[in-house]
Amino acid sequence: MKRLGIGFAAVVAALALAGAALAGATTYAGPKAWSAGASAGSSYSSAWKYNYFFKQGSGYDATVTFIDNVTYSWHATVRNTSSTTYTYWFVSNVKRGHCRANSGYFWGSCAVVN
Amino acid sequence: MRGKRVIVASILVLAAALLASGVIAGQFRSADPEALHEALTSGEVVQVAEIAAADGLARRGVFVQETDIGQLCLWDAASASSLQRGGGCNAIDDPLGGSAVSASLAYDGGPAIETVRDARLIGLADEDVASVTVLMSDGSERVVRLKKAKLSAGDFFAFGYRFKKADLRRGIGPIAVIARGAGGGELARQPTGIG
Repeated sequence: MKRLGIGFAAVVAALALAGAALAGATTYAGPKAWSAGASAGSSYSSAWKYNYFFKQGSGYDATVTFIDNVTYSWHATVRNTSSTTYTYWFVSNVKRGHCRANSGYFWGSCAVVN
Repeated sequence: MRGKRVIVASILVLAAALLASGVIAGQFRSADPEALHEALTSGEVVQVAEIAAADGLARRGVFVQETDIGQLCLWDAASASSLQRGGGCNAIDDPLGGSAVSASLAYDGGPAIETVRDARLIGLADEDVASVTVLMSDGSERVVRLKKAKLSAGDFFAFGYRFKKADLRRGIGPIAVIARGAGGGELARQPTGIG
Protein backbone atom coordinates (compact mmCIF):
# COMPACT_ATOMS: atom_id res chain seq x y z
CA MET A 1 0.00 0.00 0.00
CA LYS A 2 2.90 2.29 0.83
CA ARG A 3 4.45 1.62 -2.59
CA LEU A 4 1.15 2.42 -4.22
CA GLY A 5 1.06 5.74 -2.39
CA ILE A 6 4.60 6.59 -3.46
CA GLY A 7 3.80 5.65 -7.05
CA PHE A 8 0.70 7.83 -7.04
CA ALA A 9 2.64 10.77 -5.57
CA ALA A 10 5.29 10.42 -8.28
CA VAL A 11 2.65 10.46 -11.01
CA VAL A 12 1.02 13.55 -9.51
CA ALA A 13 4.41 15.30 -9.32
CA ALA A 14 5.17 14.40 -12.93
CA LEU A 15 1.84 15.81 -14.05
CA ALA A 16 2.44 19.00 -12.09
CA LEU A 17 5.84 19.43 -13.75
CA ALA A 18 4.32 18.72 -17.14
CA GLY A 19 1.79 21.44 -16.51
CA ALA A 20 4.49 23.93 -15.55
CA ALA A 21 6.60 23.12 -18.60
CA LEU A 22 3.52 23.35 -20.78
CA ALA A 23 2.94 26.97 -19.97
CA GLY A 24 6.61 27.90 -20.40
CA ALA A 25 6.21 30.86 -18.07
CA THR A 26 5.29 31.60 -14.48
CA THR A 27 1.97 29.83 -14.46
CA TYR A 28 -0.12 31.00 -11.53
CA ALA A 29 -3.30 29.06 -12.21
CA GLY A 30 -4.00 25.79 -13.98
CA PRO A 31 -3.98 24.03 -16.29
CA LYS A 32 -7.37 23.19 -14.84
CA ALA A 33 -11.08 23.25 -15.53
CA TRP A 34 -12.52 26.75 -15.13
CA SER A 35 -16.09 27.58 -14.23
CA ALA A 36 -17.76 30.94 -14.77
CA GLY A 37 -16.65 33.45 -12.15
CA ALA A 38 -13.52 31.56 -11.12
CA SER A 39 -10.46 33.78 -10.78
CA ALA A 40 -6.81 33.63 -9.73
CA GLY A 41 -3.88 35.95 -9.06
CA SER A 42 -0.12 35.74 -9.28
CA SER A 43 2.36 36.94 -6.68
CA TYR A 44 3.24 40.64 -6.62
CA SER A 45 6.34 41.71 -8.56
CA SER A 46 7.67 44.72 -10.44
CA ALA A 47 9.04 42.35 -13.07
CA TRP A 48 5.80 41.16 -14.64
CA LYS A 49 5.28 42.60 -18.09
CA TYR A 50 2.55 40.53 -19.63
CA ASN A 51 -0.25 38.38 -18.49
CA TYR A 52 -2.20 35.84 -20.49
CA PHE A 53 -5.01 33.36 -20.23
CA PHE A 54 -4.32 30.34 -22.38
CA LYS A 55 -7.50 28.38 -23.17
CA GLN A 56 -8.27 25.07 -24.81
CA GLY A 57 -9.72 26.92 -27.79
CA SER A 58 -11.69 29.98 -28.78
CA GLY A 59 -15.18 30.85 -27.60
CA TYR A 60 -14.43 30.96 -23.88
CA ASP A 61 -14.92 34.36 -22.32
CA ALA A 62 -12.05 35.45 -20.05
CA THR A 63 -10.46 38.55 -18.55
CA VAL A 64 -6.80 39.30 -17.79
CA THR A 65 -5.51 42.35 -15.95
CA PHE A 66 -2.82 43.71 -13.68
CA ILE A 67 -3.58 44.92 -10.16
CA ASP A 68 -1.16 47.31 -8.46
CA ASN A 69 -0.33 46.97 -4.77
CA VAL A 70 -1.08 50.59 -3.82
CA THR A 71 -4.55 51.47 -5.11
CA TYR A 72 -5.50 47.92 -6.18
CA SER A 73 -6.83 49.40 -9.40
CA TRP A 74 -6.98 47.37 -12.58
CA HIS A 75 -4.60 48.20 -15.42
CA ALA A 76 -4.45 47.23 -19.10
CA THR A 77 -7.46 44.95 -18.70
CA VAL A 78 -8.50 42.81 -21.67
CA ARG A 79 -11.61 40.68 -22.03
CA ASN A 80 -12.35 38.45 -25.01
CA THR A 81 -13.19 34.93 -26.20
CA SER A 82 -9.97 34.30 -28.13
CA SER A 83 -8.08 31.09 -27.49
CA THR A 84 -5.36 33.21 -25.88
CA THR A 85 -6.24 36.46 -24.11
CA TYR A 86 -3.24 38.77 -23.74
CA THR A 87 -2.33 41.97 -22.01
CA TYR A 88 0.96 43.82 -21.71
CA TRP A 89 1.78 46.46 -19.12
CA PHE A 90 5.36 47.73 -19.27
CA VAL A 91 5.70 49.73 -16.08
CA SER A 92 7.97 49.27 -13.09
CA ASN A 93 5.12 49.34 -10.54
CA VAL A 94 4.70 46.39 -8.24
CA LYS A 95 1.69 44.47 -9.50
CA ARG A 96 0.17 41.05 -9.81
CA GLY A 97 -1.44 39.32 -12.73
CA HIS A 98 -5.10 38.48 -12.32
CA CYS A 99 -7.30 36.35 -14.54
CA ARG A 100 -10.96 35.38 -14.48
CA ALA A 101 -13.17 33.03 -16.44
CA ASN A 102 -16.44 34.71 -17.44
CA SER A 103 -17.85 31.52 -18.89
CA GLY A 104 -17.32 27.83 -18.24
CA TYR A 105 -16.38 25.09 -18.34
CA PHE A 106 -13.07 24.96 -20.15
CA TRP A 107 -9.44 23.96 -19.64
CA GLY A 108 -6.98 26.78 -19.28
CA SER A 109 -4.06 28.31 -17.48
CA CYS A 110 -2.97 31.82 -16.55
CA ALA A 111 0.63 32.99 -16.61
CA VAL A 112 2.71 36.10 -16.15
CA VAL A 113 6.01 36.74 -17.90
CA ASN A 114 8.77 39.19 -17.05
CA MET B 1 -1.58 -11.93 -3.82
CA ARG B 2 -1.22 -8.56 -2.11
CA GLY B 3 1.77 -7.73 -4.32
CA LYS B 4 -0.25 -8.56 -7.43
CA ARG B 5 -3.04 -6.18 -6.33
CA VAL B 6 -0.49 -3.40 -5.82
CA ILE B 7 0.93 -3.95 -9.31
CA VAL B 8 -2.52 -3.91 -10.92
CA ALA B 9 -3.50 -0.80 -8.97
CA SER B 10 -0.24 0.92 -9.97
CA ILE B 11 -0.86 0.10 -13.63
CA LEU B 12 -4.38 1.52 -13.37
CA VAL B 13 -3.11 4.72 -11.74
CA LEU B 14 -0.40 5.09 -14.41
CA ALA B 15 -2.91 4.50 -17.21
CA ALA B 16 -5.26 7.10 -15.71
CA ALA B 17 -2.38 9.56 -15.38
CA LEU B 18 -1.28 9.01 -18.99
CA LEU B 19 -4.85 9.45 -20.16
CA ALA B 20 -5.22 12.64 -18.14
CA SER B 21 -1.94 14.10 -19.42
CA GLY B 22 -2.95 13.12 -22.96
CA VAL B 23 -6.25 14.92 -22.56
CA ILE B 24 -4.50 17.98 -21.17
CA ALA B 25 -1.89 17.96 -23.95
CA GLY B 26 -4.63 17.52 -26.53
CA GLN B 27 -6.55 20.45 -25.16
CA PHE B 28 -3.50 22.70 -25.45
CA ARG B 29 -2.21 21.42 -28.78
CA SER B 30 -3.62 24.42 -30.67
CA ALA B 31 -0.93 26.84 -29.49
CA ASP B 32 1.98 26.38 -27.15
CA PRO B 33 2.37 29.58 -25.09
CA GLU B 34 6.14 29.67 -25.39
CA ALA B 35 6.04 29.11 -29.15
CA LEU B 36 3.34 31.75 -29.50
CA HIS B 37 5.31 34.24 -27.42
CA GLU B 38 8.34 33.64 -29.62
CA ALA B 39 6.29 33.90 -32.82
CA LEU B 40 4.87 37.24 -31.73
CA THR B 41 8.33 38.78 -31.69
CA SER B 42 8.72 38.37 -35.45
CA GLY B 43 5.31 38.27 -37.13
CA GLU B 44 4.38 41.31 -39.24
CA VAL B 45 1.88 43.68 -37.62
CA VAL B 46 -0.64 45.32 -39.98
CA GLN B 47 -3.17 48.02 -39.13
CA VAL B 48 -6.73 47.15 -40.13
CA ALA B 49 -8.81 49.83 -38.37
CA GLU B 50 -8.52 52.88 -36.17
CA ILE B 51 -9.75 53.97 -32.78
CA ALA B 52 -10.40 57.69 -33.12
CA ALA B 53 -9.02 60.22 -30.66
CA ALA B 54 -11.68 61.46 -28.24
CA ASP B 55 -12.14 62.98 -24.79
CA GLY B 56 -8.49 64.05 -24.75
CA LEU B 57 -7.28 60.53 -25.45
CA ALA B 58 -4.94 59.82 -28.38
CA ARG B 59 -5.94 57.79 -31.39
CA ARG B 60 -4.97 54.15 -31.43
CA GLY B 61 -4.95 51.42 -34.01
CA VAL B 62 -6.40 47.96 -34.49
CA PHE B 63 -3.66 45.61 -35.70
CA VAL B 64 -3.52 42.08 -37.04
CA GLN B 65 -0.49 39.86 -36.60
CA GLU B 66 -0.40 36.56 -38.46
CA THR B 67 2.24 34.27 -37.02
CA ASP B 68 4.20 31.44 -38.60
CA ILE B 69 2.72 28.97 -36.11
CA GLY B 70 -0.80 29.39 -37.47
CA GLN B 71 -2.17 31.98 -35.06
CA LEU B 72 -3.90 35.24 -35.92
CA CYS B 73 -3.67 37.88 -33.20
CA LEU B 74 -5.69 41.05 -32.99
CA TRP B 75 -4.21 43.96 -31.05
CA ASP B 76 -5.32 47.28 -29.63
CA ALA B 77 -2.15 49.40 -29.59
CA ALA B 78 -0.83 52.91 -30.10
CA SER B 79 1.24 51.82 -33.11
CA ALA B 80 2.31 48.72 -35.01
CA SER B 81 5.65 48.66 -33.20
CA SER B 82 4.21 49.19 -29.72
CA LEU B 83 4.52 46.21 -27.39
CA GLN B 84 2.19 47.93 -24.95
CA ARG B 85 -0.82 46.19 -26.40
CA GLY B 86 -3.76 43.98 -25.56
CA GLY B 87 -5.89 41.53 -27.45
CA GLY B 88 -6.04 37.88 -28.30
CA CYS B 89 -5.05 35.13 -30.68
CA ASN B 90 -7.06 32.47 -32.50
CA ALA B 91 -6.20 29.78 -35.01
CA ILE B 92 -5.52 31.43 -38.35
CA ASP B 93 -8.00 29.16 -40.13
CA ASP B 94 -10.74 30.22 -37.70
CA PRO B 95 -9.94 33.78 -36.58
CA LEU B 96 -13.51 34.42 -35.42
CA GLY B 97 -13.60 31.28 -33.32
CA GLY B 98 -16.61 29.84 -35.12
CA SER B 99 -18.70 32.99 -34.66
CA ALA B 100 -19.70 35.84 -36.97
CA VAL B 101 -17.87 38.31 -34.77
CA SER B 102 -14.91 38.24 -32.40
CA ALA B 103 -14.49 41.30 -30.19
CA SER B 104 -11.96 42.26 -27.54
CA LEU B 105 -12.61 44.83 -24.84
CA ALA B 106 -9.70 46.75 -23.30
CA TYR B 107 -9.82 49.30 -20.49
CA ASP B 108 -7.65 51.14 -18.04
CA GLY B 109 -8.86 51.69 -14.49
CA GLY B 110 -11.62 49.98 -12.63
CA PRO B 111 -12.88 47.48 -11.78
CA ALA B 112 -15.66 49.94 -10.83
CA ILE B 113 -16.91 51.30 -14.14
CA GLU B 114 -17.01 54.91 -12.88
CA THR B 115 -13.23 54.80 -12.32
CA VAL B 116 -12.39 53.55 -15.81
CA ARG B 117 -10.33 56.19 -17.63
CA ASP B 118 -10.48 54.71 -21.13
CA ALA B 119 -12.38 51.77 -22.60
CA ARG B 120 -12.09 50.48 -26.14
CA LEU B 121 -13.47 47.70 -28.26
CA ILE B 122 -11.73 46.09 -31.23
CA GLY B 123 -12.72 43.16 -33.36
CA LEU B 124 -13.18 41.29 -36.59
CA ALA B 125 -16.48 40.33 -38.20
CA ASP B 126 -17.42 37.94 -40.97
CA GLU B 127 -17.81 39.55 -44.41
CA ASP B 128 -21.52 38.57 -44.38
CA VAL B 129 -22.12 40.82 -41.37
CA ALA B 130 -23.98 44.03 -42.23
CA SER B 131 -23.64 45.79 -38.89
CA VAL B 132 -22.02 45.48 -35.49
CA THR B 133 -23.44 47.26 -32.47
CA VAL B 134 -22.56 47.38 -28.80
CA LEU B 135 -25.43 46.84 -26.38
CA MET B 136 -24.96 49.11 -23.39
CA SER B 137 -26.11 48.52 -19.83
CA ASP B 138 -28.84 51.17 -20.18
CA GLY B 139 -30.38 49.27 -23.11
CA SER B 140 -29.12 51.60 -25.82
CA GLU B 141 -26.89 50.47 -28.68
CA ARG B 142 -23.78 52.04 -30.16
CA VAL B 143 -23.11 51.46 -33.85
CA VAL B 144 -19.56 50.42 -34.66
CA ARG B 145 -18.04 51.47 -37.96
CA LEU B 146 -16.83 48.53 -40.06
CA LYS B 147 -13.79 48.63 -42.31
CA LYS B 148 -12.95 45.98 -44.89
CA ALA B 149 -9.87 43.96 -44.02
CA LYS B 150 -8.22 41.63 -46.53
CA LEU B 151 -6.16 39.13 -44.62
CA SER B 152 -4.43 35.98 -45.75
CA ALA B 153 -7.00 34.20 -43.60
CA GLY B 154 -9.78 35.70 -45.78
CA ASP B 155 -11.92 38.82 -46.12
CA PHE B 156 -13.32 40.33 -42.94
CA PHE B 157 -14.53 43.56 -41.45
CA ALA B 158 -12.39 45.15 -38.75
CA PHE B 159 -13.53 47.67 -36.18
CA GLY B 160 -12.32 49.84 -33.37
CA TYR B 161 -14.47 51.84 -30.99
CA ARG B 162 -13.82 54.05 -27.97
CA PHE B 163 -16.51 54.36 -25.29
CA LYS B 164 -17.52 57.85 -24.25
CA LYS B 165 -16.18 59.03 -20.90
CA ALA B 166 -19.59 60.51 -20.14
CA ASP B 167 -21.13 57.02 -20.36
CA LEU B 168 -18.48 55.48 -18.13
CA ARG B 169 -18.83 58.22 -15.51
CA ARG B 170 -22.56 57.53 -15.33
CA GLY B 171 -21.89 53.83 -14.86
CA ILE B 172 -23.04 52.91 -18.38
CA GLY B 173 -20.87 50.29 -20.02
CA PRO B 174 -20.98 47.59 -22.68
CA ILE B 175 -22.69 44.29 -21.98
CA ALA B 176 -22.68 42.61 -25.42
CA VAL B 177 -21.45 42.92 -28.98
CA ILE B 178 -24.09 42.07 -31.59
CA ALA B 179 -23.51 41.22 -35.25
CA ARG B 180 -26.49 41.47 -37.61
CA GLY B 181 -27.06 40.41 -41.19
CA ALA B 182 -28.41 42.50 -44.06
CA GLY B 183 -32.01 41.76 -43.07
CA GLY B 184 -31.37 42.90 -39.51
CA GLY B 185 -31.37 39.41 -38.07
CA GLU B 186 -28.93 38.67 -35.30
CA LEU B 187 -26.02 36.52 -36.45
CA ALA B 188 -23.98 36.47 -33.26
CA ARG B 189 -23.88 37.95 -29.78
CA GLN B 190 -20.76 38.05 -27.60
CA PRO B 191 -21.19 39.01 -23.95
CA THR B 192 -18.70 41.53 -22.59
CA GLY B 193 -18.46 44.00 -19.75
CA ILE B 194 -16.29 46.01 -17.38
CA GLY B 195 -15.36 44.75 -13.95
